[in-house]
Amino acid sequence: MLDSLPYELPELVTRAPLDSHRSTVLSEWVDWNGHMNVAFYVLAFDQASGAFMRNMGLGRRYVDGKLGMTFVLETHVTYDREMRQGAPMRFTTQLLERDAKKVHLYHEMFHAERGYLAATNEVIVMNIDYASRRSAPWPAPVAERLEMLWRAHKTLPRPAKAGRVMGLSSKS
Amino acid sequence: MIDLDLGAPLDRHRATVLPDWIDWNGHMNVGFYVVAFDKATDTLCEQFGCSWDYTREKIGMTFVLEAHVTYDQEVKEGDPLRITSQILDHDAKRLHYIHAMYHATEGYLAATNELMLMNIDYATRRSAPWPDFALERIDKLAAAHKRLPVPKQAGRLIGIKKK
Repeated sequence: MLDSLPYELPELVTRAPLDSHRSTVLSEWVDWNGHMNVAFYVLAFDQASGAFMRNMGLGRRYVDGKLGMTFVLETHVTYDREMRQGAPMRFTTQLLERDAKKVHLYHEMFHAERGYLAATNEVIVMNIDYASRRSAPWPAPVAERLEMLWRAHKTLPRPAKAGRVMGLSSKS
Repeated sequence: MIDLDLGAPLDRHRATVLPDWIDWNGHMNVGFYVVAFDKATDTLCEQFGCSWDYTREKIGMTFVLEAHVTYDQEVKEGDPLRITSQILDHDAKRLHYIHAMYHATEGYLAATNELMLMNIDYATRRSAPWPDFALERIDKLAAAHKRLPVPKQAGRLIGIKKK
């Protein structure tokens, strides 16, 4: 485990849920159905996971400094409503669980002006050692920040759309 | 419409990892696995006449309601991909299926993608029953795929196990 990180960490935001990440639907994200393609919801959510990691102290400098990386192991998306080109997006992020190497995050994507829920994303992200490209415990300052965030998020209600198993009997 | 391929699972889709699909970790980004899988969905939908022609002719569309991806192993720029598709279930409007992505020459499983797809009426953009020509073919494909074991990546609940 890394005991420290060789750069200054940003001020920790512990708002519950986190509500900082914003984005816009790009023209190249739109498919022949005239709306944001399913894959680009995942890309947009991945950028929201990136924002979460930067808040933990794991931004670009973590990778460029050859210290480590974060890999997604698994993801689950519900597509609730269409988004068109140019639509502004607002993301909220809740920490559902964490352990020594992983976090379980839950994102919601809203149309930032009209307010409707567009999609949800549950994701498991794991810390990776740069050299071995294998899993490794969070650097110590990151583990500390995760615990601080966890204290703020653990009392949030469990989102209704988290923990879904797919099947034709589940309501859509 | 193309000839129906009743090989189980459907094993027609091939692709290559493009330079644009690589992120700063030096491997295919999580979003572009889904780009690749979504193209495999087009290959599957082509089997029952609900791919690009279906939308171009303003008959209908197919929308994904829900997706689950397991990222099993990294793939890098230029890697050849082989994607198979297995129908798990279907009803009058929906199709539940799972894709498996393999490194085409090394053979390892790179990822899986379970999906729920819904048929959409072009004019109203609301759900509608599959057209007869599509349902007839979906029934045949589903019957051919029914004898396959359900992959262990299907029906997963996401989470961190508490020790």
